[in-house]
Order: sequence, then structure tokens, then C-alpha cells
Amino acid sequence: MDEPLTPEEREALAAELALGVLDGPDRARALRLQLADPSFALEVEVWAKRLSDLHLAFEEAPPRDMWDAIAARVEGPSVVVLEARLRRWRWSAIGTGLIAASFAAALVLRPVPPPMTLPPAQAVVAQLGDAKGTLLAANYDSSTGRLRIRAVALPASTLSPELWVIPTDGVPRSLGLVGARGVTELSVAQQQRAYLHEGSTLAVTLEPAAGAPHMKPSSKPIAAGKISII
Amino acid sequence: MAVGDAYDARRAQLTDALGRAGRGDRAALREIYDLTSAKLFGVCLRICQEREAAEDVLQDVYIKIWARAGRFDASRASPITWLCTIARNAAIDWRRAAKGPVMADESAAAEVPDARPIASEMLAAAQSQARIFTCLETLEDRPRAAIRAAFFDGLSYPQLAVQMAVPLGTMKSWVRRGLLQLKACIGDG
Repeated sequence: MDEPLTPEEREALAAELALGVLDGPDRARALRLQLADPSFALEVEVWAKRLSDLHLAFEEAPPRDMWDAIAARVEGPSVVVLEARLRRWRWSAIGTGLIAASFAAALVLRPVPPPMTLPPAQAVVAQLGDAKGTLLAANYDSSTGRLRIRAVALPASTLSPELWVIPTDGVPRSLGLVGARGVTELSVAQQQRAYLHEGSTLAVTLEPAAGAPHMKPSSKPIAAGKISII
Repeated sequence: MAVGDAYDARRAQLTDALGRAGRGDRAALREIYDLTSAKLFGVCLRICQEREAAEDVLQDVYIKIWARAGRFDASRASPITWLCTIARNAAIDWRRAAKGPVMADESAAAEVPDARPIASEMLAAAQSQARIFTCLETLEDRPRAAIRAAFFDGLSYPQLAVQMAVPLGTMKSWVRRGLLQLKACIGDG
């Protein structure tokens, strides 16, 4: 677990994250905190706003044909209706509050993603929650395939939390059991890594420990959240 | 206040347009483009420092905005800050990929990487009344240069330390102190 921060350290960390100077474990820690702690996330946002004024001085109109080039790339079917996606879910009893909380952002399927140059190691993060708040926070290092997930507040149960990744095809794939408290670190199998991309959903269900990882979940998710690449 | 009202109206319009774009409305993306393209192009130009690259990055930025608009949360971020962050990150990604890691340069090591014209920024700052420009000027040279290089060039602590040839711990304390001085100077809480 991370050492607790003093208020001064928290403030400095928020400023450093907004400025973009952190790297490695320091950055991963700050991103985890940003996901798990709304007051820290707000501090980061305040710093981002403060620093973004540095952009004020540099407005310049782009070339006239720029919009046409962009419009050409957003043509084609790009909207997926939520209901169509959810019909493929086998979890018929999903609570509506949970759907609203975790799938509100799932309405738009990305158009074919343009080839983007990204830094080699991507920090992939997600916070998993229900309508009331965050239950788990996850981060994933695509260069090593290591996924760390921290149980923030899971309900007590005799069953075991099982982590699923649900890519845009809507089919849950098990990533294995995770601890009901503390941090679980797991190595994601090679064939599952491709599913861990922006827009996929991570979800946790409570399952019997026997037979895990399971082919499919037997109950509705207690927590779900979308993956962001930061 | 008239200026504040205009700002609020623009913010509301952008928030509304992002909401519609998030539901797949292409006209809303056009509206976002018309409201923000000059600003975001400025961000890309400043960071990429190559016009052609900045144009390519700007295209990608609006594709990203289109893809992510549904996730914009007006209760957590101002729309223009959110959009600038997307543009800045995309431009920094391009820069890192195009220029590779920052290398120590014997001749440049002792120099402050701060050759960009201050005067034009100051002029623009006077127009925009952005406190941060005048506040930056109150910092010592090297912390200021480090903060600027971090913001505009996307350099991390280790890269800044190499570029300015100081120990990592020194760099961290410069930047932290500089940021806290900036906050005190801007005086927005």
C-alpha cells in the first residue's frame, strides 16, 4: 500500500501530475489517487486549469481545409445504441442504477481509431464502482502485462470477486479472481491483453472460488468501470 | 460582469456541444471545432513547433474529442481545460515519438532551455490578462525554465534533470517550489 501523504505532499503531487513531470511509479501512484480520491482529482483539475492559461497566448486559425479532413474521418457508422450492446449481455438482472453509472459513457463506440503515436508504456487505468462510488481501482502496464487492482470498499461475502474485461463486443472474459481487500497484482494472459484498451469495461462479479477463472459470470456485476488510457 | 458572462456563455455552449457530440451528433463536433480550433491549433503548434505536424496532430485531436466527448463530465472539468489537455497530450505524444528521448547535450547542458521569446508572451498576456504569465516571470530562471519545459515540451523530472544537468532531487525541489510560488502569485486559492 502507498504511504499516506501530508497535505503539502498531496498538493505537490496534484500539481506535478497536472504539469506532467511525473513518471514511473510516482506517476502510477498519482493516477491511482486521482481515480480513487475525488478531492485529489479536483486538486489536479484546479492545477490543470491554472496551467492551461499558458495556452492562452497562442491562438492561431488552422488551415481552411482542416475541417473537411476531420469530417471525412468521422463519417460512417459511429453510434452504437446502448440497448443493442446490452442485449448481448448474459446478465439479465443488471440493476438499472449500475447501468446508468457505468455505461453512460458507453454510448459512443469509437470510429476506427486513427493510428496514433503513443508513448511505449501506456498507463491504463480504470475505477470500478456502482452508483454510490468507487469500489475498486485498477491500473495496468501494457509493457509488462501486469495489472494491479486495489479493493477500496467491497461488500463482505463468502464468494470471491472475479474480474472481467468486456471489450466492445460485449462478451465478458475472466481475468481471474482478485482479493476482497488490499492490492492484487495479476499477470494478464497474452491473448487477453488485446482486450485491455480504452473503451473496454472492467467489471467485478462475486463468484464461487471453485473453477475460476470461469467461462462466464453467474451473477450481475457489483462494480464496473470503463478503461481510460492516460 | 460582461467578460465573465461571455465566458460563462461560451462554457455552457461548449458543454452542451460536447454532450451532443457524445451522443453522435456530428454537427455538434463542428460547433466545437468552430469554437476551439484556433486555440487548440495554437497548443499543437506551440508544442510540435512544426506546422505540418501540428496540423496532423490537430486532426487527431478532434477525432479523439469525437470519440471521448461522451465521457466529458462537466461537474469535474471545464470544457476548454479538458479540450486543451487532450490537445496538449496528443502534441506531446507526437513530440516524444518524433524526437525520441531527450539526450544530454554537452554544450547545451549548462544552458537554460528557454530560448522562446518572452516578449510576445508578455504582450499576449497583457491582452489575455492571464496572471500565470506575469507570475512565471517572478520565479527564478531555472525553476521557470523547468516548468516551461515540462509544460510545453512534456519533459518528465528525469528528462529535465538530464537536460539541465542537475540532480533529480534538485530538479524536483525547484519545480515543486516554483509551482507553489505560482499558486500563491496567481492567488486563485
